[in-house]
Amino acid sequence: MAGVSSVLAVLRGFERVNRLFFVMAAWACLVMAVLGFAIVVARYGFSVGSIAAQEVVMYLHAFILLCAAASTLACDGHVRVDIFYSRWSAQRRALVNLAGSLVLLMPVMLFILLISWEYVAHAWARHEASAEAGGLAWVYLLKSLILLFALQMLLQGALQAVQAWADWRSGAAEPGA
Amino acid sequence: MIALAMFVAVCAVLLLGYPVALTLAGVALWFALFGTTVGLVDPSELLAFPSRLFGIMSNQTLVAVPLFVLMGVVLEKAKLAEELLDAMAALAGRMRGGLGVSVVLVGALLAASTGIVGATVVTMGLLSLPTMLKRGYSPAVASGTIAAAGTLGQIIPPSIVLVLLGDVLSSAYQQAQLAQGIFSLQTVSVGDLFVGALIPGILLVSAYIIYLIVLAALKPETMPAPPADECPRGIKLWAQLARGMAPPLLLIVAVLGSIMLGFATPTEAAAVGACGALLLAAVRGQLNRAALQSAGEQCAKITSMVFLIFIGASLFSMVFNAYGGDEHVHNLLTALPGGAFGAMVCVMVLMFLLGFILDFIEITFVVVPIVGPVLLQLGLDPVWLGVMMAINLQTSFLTPPFGFALFYLRGVAPAQLTTPQLYRGVVPFIAIQVGMLILLALWPALATWLPSVVY
Repeated sequence: MAGVSSVLAVLRGFERVNRLFFVMAAWACLVMAVLGFAIVVARYGFSVGSIAAQEVVMYLHAFILLCAAASTLACDGHVRVDIFYSRWSAQRRALVNLAGSLVLLMPVMLFILLISWEYVAHAWARHEASAEAGGLAWVYLLKSLILLFALQMLLQGALQAVQAWADWRSGAAEPGA
Repeated sequence: MIALAMFVAVCAVLLLGYPVALTLAGVALWFALFGTTVGLVDPSELLAFPSRLFGIMSNQTLVAVPLFVLMGVVLEKAKLAEELLDAMAALAGRMRGGLGVSVVLVGALLAASTGIVGATVVTMGLLSLPTMLKRGYSPAVASGTIAAAGTLGQIIPPSIVLVLLGDVLSSAYQQAQLAQGIFSLQTVSVGDLFVGALIPGILLVSAYIIYLIVLAALKPETMPAPPADECPRGIKLWAQLARGMAPPLLLIVAVLGSIMLGFATPTEAAAVGACGALLLAAVRGQLNRAALQSAGEQCAKITSMVFLIFIGASLFSMVFNAYGGDEHVHNLLTALPGGAFGAMVCVMVLMFLLGFILDFIEITFVVVPIVGPVLLQLGLDPVWLGVMMAINLQTSFLTPPFGFALFYLRGVAPAQLTTPQLYRGVVPFIAIQVGMLILLALWPALATWLPSVVY
């Protein structure tokens, strides 16, 4: 069991890192709103437009939607079709989550990691910048978020599987639970 | 055929209750692996997935989503909806059914910026059901009104489902025109859909209100007027209106107005709306560091939830099309008797049924990209199509026994509300919805006229 608990400790460490990204995404939402408002004021009030500022908003948006996903998984924030799920026993739900993360989540994230690797590496090799004049020069970093996202989700999914396994076992140990 | 099997398989796995986004992607991945192994799917088709992902990340229109969500979250946390409801009810004074009418208006204006049917109905239910029951409203009328009002906000701009639907329809429209060999592309934008949904939305709100007023006149016992001593008057009433009603109304008018008048794109309007909501909360002294962070977290959570579905759904539709699913659907829909009309009816029935298990967001991402291009090639107007789909889904969410709205309202309702009462309460609203769909089918101009004038 020592092996299991050390794996669990490592995964919980990654969960804390995911949580850190989530808090950054939360503040990014607010920054994005303020920056978006500033862009509107600059454009309609002073007829000043900035491609770079718009791209910062887009970068923040990409960061939020990708890097908040793992912590959202941790607090069960991704919608489920819960017609049956909500009525099932805790043990059966644990089984759904165990199977789901092993058969659905983890393969998908591995697939995204593998298939995007080349794509992102290519962007790095070219030091890819925005196609717009006056845009930001960090498209390769933006694209790297895809790998970060898949890695975060993979680790969070592994933790979900370990926890679901434990829940399922403890449910099986108590007859009638 | 395999594409069809994939669709059925995904519906079956979804019912197990694992998160929708990951189920869509996971099932699609296994079908893709099978297809590449037996040689039915060209592995190189999957290589396009990273650039699809990047397309989602860098989509400028969808930036409006977290901003509208933030606006909704802040308004909710600052209890603005509650005060708006109280202020409107106070304004209605001793009018019979006044509270019911207020609930409809608040639902239409404020309830749905977050775009999730369940969450909206729960919010509206917690907000207004106890008050309505305490005032002696019949449980059937109260619950029917709340379920209808809670889902109504979905189709009244600004709502995020209209942003998503507008974006998906706009790419479907381009695809349809390219397939027809039209290269001077016409576009349809989220703004068009916002403007197009306005008249049908207002008509629905009016129909709800007329129904409630008529019911109050015919059966006064179902919605009694409040006792006179509970109605504020004079200065007190005005103070309540100035505090509770003016700020959120100004905000909504500013957001909608700037889009309508063509000043701002929906994304810009959403940024203004989000900052306006923050400002309102700040003026009320409800904006400390903890409140800010918790609003941001709620917003990040909903945003990543919405977009993970988009990511899952795009893997799904990519594999679905690799199996020739788009051609199957095209052949199927064009072979139906009745041309565009037959195809439309078929799609509407399918969406109505899917609405029993899937939320608006999922249907927008999974079904609309598949059927949208075909229907648009048959010559249907994209704005009209979007509005029809939205009202159709809203109706589906209200329909017993599976409607989402009922399911969630049941969850937060006190035990004195029985399920048959709930069902009886929504039937008149379903009738209004169906009436609206028929009206819109007969006079598409209800949706298409205003966008043609504004833009």
